[in-house]
Amino acid sequence: MDPILRRSSFFYVTTLLTYCGLMGRFLITRDWPAFEIIPLFMPVWLASALLFSERDESYAFLRTLPVTDRVVVRTKFSLILSFATIQWLLMIGVVLLRDDGVSGPSTLVYVTLVCAFALLVVASLQVGIWRYGTSVMTVVIAAFVALGLVLVIVHMATLKHVDNWPALSRLAVVEWLGRAPWLSSAAVAALVLAALHGLMRIGVRVKASSEACL
Amino acid sequence: MDTILEARNLTKHYEDFSLRSVSLEVRRGSIAGFFGPNGAGKSTLVKLLAHQTPSHMGTIRVFGLSYADRERDIKNRIGYVPQEPPFYMDKTVRWTARFAAPYFARWDGGGFYGLLDQFKVNPLKKVKHLSGGQKKLLSIAFALSHGAELLILDEPTAGLDVVYRRALLDRLRAFVADGEKTVIVASHITDGLDEIAEDVSFLTDGRIVLHEDKDDLLSRWKWIHYKDGALPQAVEDRLTSVQRQPFGNRGLTGDFPAVRADLAPALAAGDAKVENASLEDILVSLIKGA
Repeated sequence: MDPILRRSSFFYVTTLLTYCGLMGRFLITRDWPAFEIIPLFMPVWLASALLFSERDESYAFLRTLPVTDRVVVRTKFSLILSFATIQWLLMIGVVLLRDDGVSGPSTLVYVTLVCAFALLVVASLQVGIWRYGTSVMTVVIAAFVALGLVLVIVHMATLKHVDNWPALSRLAVVEWLGRAPWLSSAAVAALVLAALHGLMRIGVRVKASSEACL
Repeated sequence: MDTILEARNLTKHYEDFSLRSVSLEVRRGSIAGFFGPNGAGKSTLVKLLAHQTPSHMGTIRVFGLSYADRERDIKNRIGYVPQEPPFYMDKTVRWTARFAAPYFARWDGGGFYGLLDQFKVNPLKKVKHLSGGQKKLLSIAFALSHGAELLILDEPTAGLDVVYRRALLDRLRAFVADGEKTVIVASHITDGLDEIAEDVSFLTDGRIVLHEDKDDLLSRWKWIHYKDGALPQAVEDRLTSVQRQPFGNRGLTGDFPAVRADLAPALAAGDAKVENASLEDILVSLIKGA
């Protein structure tokens, strides 16, 4: 196994396990807002994994080794993509398992959209680390995580107590995409992969030209 | 001359410093020394040569290859020791070796642990618990353990005690002994590396102000000790770093062959004598004259 992958995946696995604990509620609840709220924690968890894996990363040491920036970028992006995919699969699996009225086709699309958002945001944060350095981006990622948690909690509380508060999973566009959930998900996945590929190319250029992360 | 490294017009700008249009060649089998005062640009130059930082302009070819196309191949053949070696500080030395080894095409684990043993670096210790000198020795052990043909060393003796410094100098001499391997070293001049360097370059203010074979350089630069009025004016005019003292004067010339004839009468009369200059003397003179 690639040493960079081995080292960084430890943090992602740890974060994934804690997220799985959170997802347990998915399996037992009959409360539909759980399917609105729980996916929203996914970007926060993925960003946390990035934060912990990058905290003591030594790009200066990596640069002394026969490993190119392209390989480093590809490895890091593969890791983010893999764990976003695993979390997506787990959530989709639960949604399909719970095909008992509390979730539906639009939930499936909603989960896909949230995972796509998380993937692109976290990949962008990774590029930000190469561009601006770990110390600057630690503040940004920590702020993203904190803000994400606050927004999710506020959204959850408001959803429960304020009539007509819009549920993201029941927005018109999500409902519309939910008419053909697998096709929509495939289209979203294709768009996201294309965007990720573009981000990866930018990442290689940024990492090669920036010294902020060294 | 078989050139192992060639750089053309290397330029690197920082907020308060620029390395400006540096060109150089390093021949195979030599020890090339880059010397200069603090802030002269030695570390920047060495980082550029080892592809640790991007340049704003210029080209570098190592073993005839360019980093843009063959970075991995080149880095497999060079050993780089930075001024402040970076590692994963929270990890042990052994972990670091296990991490790095798969990336090298010719990793010599036995040789690496042998060097650690010789350097008295405990592989079970976390890197953050090593002293500055031990981190440097660890970096040197990495550089010497993957069959490198070119060592690029930035202040390699900084932080080392006299025993390890001497051992390192001996090891570098042995490294180039077969004429196939090469060492590039950037350093302050007073740490013994000036003794082993064969090609000498002086940097100041982001420029190479002098590049020459060390023996040729030392044959040109001499201290001349003389009594008042003993030297012809033509000779005195060519002296720099002149120190006038009650018991005799001395001045440095950078063109001894040109003044030798004019100096001959004073030498014969015992009113003057010639002494070898050190690289440090020459560097100081050049900086003052710059």
